[in-house]
Amino acid sequence: MATRIAPLPVAASFGSRLAGQMPLIALVVLCAVSAVLSDRFLSTVNVTNVLLQGSVMAVIAIGMTYVIISGGFDLSVGSVVALSGCICALVMVRYGMLAGIVAGIATGAVVGLINGLIVTKLQINPFITTLGTMVMFRGVTYLITGGHTIIGEDGLPAAFDDFATDRVLGIHKLIWLSALLFAAFGWLLHATAYGKRLFATGGNREAAYLAGIAVDRVTVSAYVWCGTLAGVAAVMLASRLQSGQPTAGEFYELTAIAAVVLGGASLYGGEGKLYNTMIGVFIMGVLSNALNLLNVHSYWQRVAIGLVIIAAAGLQRFRRR
Amino acid sequence: MAANPLVLLSQISKRFGATVALDAVTFTLLPGEAHGLVGENGAGKSTLIKILSGVHRPDVGTIEVAGAERHFSSPRDAIAAGVVLIPQEMRIVPAASVAENVMLGQVPTRAFGMVHTRRMNEIAQTVLERLNVAIDPRTRMDRLGFAERQLVVIARALAHDARVLVLDEPTAALEAREVARLFEVVVGLKADGVGIVFISHRLDEVTEISDRVTVLRDGRVVETLARGSFDKERLIQLMTGRDLAELRRPHALDFGAPLFDDKSLVLREREIVGLAGLLGSGTTELLKSLYGDPCAAIARKIGFVPGERAQGLVMGMSVRDNIALPSLGRQNRRALDVLVARLMDALDIRPRDPSRPVRELSGGNQQKVMFARWLAGDARVLLLDEPTHGVDIGAKAQIHHLIRQFADDSGGVVFASSEMIEVLSIADAVLALKGGAVVARLDRTGDYTERALRAALGG
Repeated sequence: MATRIAPLPVAASFGSRLAGQMPLIALVVLCAVSAVLSDRFLSTVNVTNVLLQGSVMAVIAIGMTYVIISGGFDLSVGSVVALSGCICALVMVRYGMLAGIVAGIATGAVVGLINGLIVTKLQINPFITTLGTMVMFRGVTYLITGGHTIIGEDGLPAAFDDFATDRVLGIHKLIWLSALLFAAFGWLLHATAYGKRLFATGGNREAAYLAGIAVDRVTVSAYVWCGTLAGVAAVMLASRLQSGQPTAGEFYELTAIAAVVLGGASLYGGEGKLYNTMIGVFIMGVLSNALNLLNVHSYWQRVAIGLVIIAAAGLQRFRRR
Repeated sequence: MAANPLVLLSQISKRFGATVALDAVTFTLLPGEAHGLVGENGAGKSTLIKILSGVHRPDVGTIEVAGAERHFSSPRDAIAAGVVLIPQEMRIVPAASVAENVMLGQVPTRAFGMVHTRRMNEIAQTVLERLNVAIDPRTRMDRLGFAERQLVVIARALAHDARVLVLDEPTAALEAREVARLFEVVVGLKADGVGIVFISHRLDEVTEISDRVTVLRDGRVVETLARGSFDKERLIQLMTGRDLAELRRPHALDFGAPLFDDKSLVLREREIVGLAGLLGSGTTELLKSLYGDPCAAIARKIGFVPGERAQGLVMGMSVRDNIALPSLGRQNRRALDVLVARLMDALDIRPRDPSRPVRELSGGNQQKVMFARWLAGDARVLLLDEPTHGVDIGAKAQIHHLIRQFADDSGGVVFASSEMIEVLSIADAVLALKGGAVVARLDRTGDYTERALRAALGG
């Protein structure tokens, strides 16, 4: 009854503002250490490589951030990357580049819609729902490809393959594309009424409902964005691989979730910043790149990355106290 | 005084952040005494019993039990000293037997740690008989009703050799018959020398059962009164610092056009209708059914403030966004900022910082944010569930003022409260609810007293 909350000092202290920038500080420190330990780290080739690899994951992580802020979870994005990539390649071989791209992205959107409807209409836990669709759509991918890489008799259209290597102002188009998507979705999330509804739905579904927000529709929209963006990432990856590969995207969901967590978003929903998720993506990217440069065995790399994820989550928890 | 006190709390002070919950409170409990603890929400009753039962530690002051100074660092320590708190939300194991619940934490065992079921049932039976309660100890706990569960929890305290029982609102969910039975148990315990502290909002019951009553206001003891020197009017006066007549809403007869015409209630402009009932009587459900589909209700300019603030606010979001929630996207940013600033001034929401996350505000200020939300949307009808539950006394007065002002500005208010004094003093008419149905309607043309309301609810 008398458990009242003390008023806090009005201006956010320097310490708390610093704590808000923890992901960025971690990334800067990580880069500095990597640069000291390996002279190849800051080379143009390596930086480009990190950015290129990060660009596909960044697009997936944008969608994951939306779903997690809405109070959900999506394990199916890795399978969507495989399914969308293969459907993109299959359609492209037959009907041309544009049709392939549209088909690939649309596939992702449909899977997202299915996830969203199962979560809201059947009220099945998002973790279970997307665990199910993750396994299911991986199976579908193998069924429609017979387990084979889709490349067509004469390969995919040259223009499509070139997209992954073309540059504008010295920077790859893939990187431009993900930067553009980041800007657009950052604006949608943080500056529009739709974004506020997403935060409110994830922060307190009951309160959002009582305030007249169509919470089911908002939730479904988050899954659709997540699926669609996974579809876009699939097309980007297919362009880099110059084929549709049924094994593509394995563990991508875990990397994306790890990036969101490293960025400090709450897995309970309602809290997070897209910008920090991007930092999280690059923490993951730089870490594995640095370990590669240092010739750390890939088995040990996994151990190290796992530890970093847990340590980061632990730090966040400590900070919130 | 003849007997040495069973409990002596001396000069207890406790702060939560900047809020002083208790300020140099001294409290004694004698053996075989029933001691009532009364005060408005936020007066410090809960904090006091939590300190007595080891949930909180005092910042300043000492606790003595049976003459020995004690430092409780957990409820466990308090139980070891014989002080047992029976909270409103009772800790029970629903799937276990009554005997297991009575003997929780001290189940008798045989060789190899096997439960000595027969012995357990016997001991439980003995304790229940001491309370004069006829419950088979082998019954599953979840077969029992609320009143019986409460008796089982009291039996558990006795099985732990409790010398001091602290009952937090023990009668809030009981019917008159069950209250009478509980009081019989209390009288029996008193005869055994057990000291009983209890909190209640129901002043009739307090005056009936207490040997002494301590009145708290704003974290201080106003007075401790012995039997014969208190009655209900006196307690209200001490609790509020005002006379009951002063608290009453001046009677406004000129109600306007009906805002709401439902089978369960009619609400007119400038009218405040109170909903009274015991826990689980259906007041919350009635409010929710009046609200119905939120989108449609908001379009009809109806606002709903749920009883648990956690249900109505997005705690991680700013004050501004929480106020704007129902009207997101319909206002431009600058107009919204102006509106939010005006409402924060009008409702005295502190601190005056619209970007502050709501979770950092006090309970009373959070409640005002909920009000501001609907005032921002020009609501004409407010449905309020326990609008002053868990807010401090200053905020409570401000919220009462807001409710009246809203009604005076041609709005209509329906509000539910478990405090009958609050309902009667704020509302123009009161609906008494029982078992999900309206059983009586009281207004100022008839007998509009707590006794009449209680009669409508009880029995």
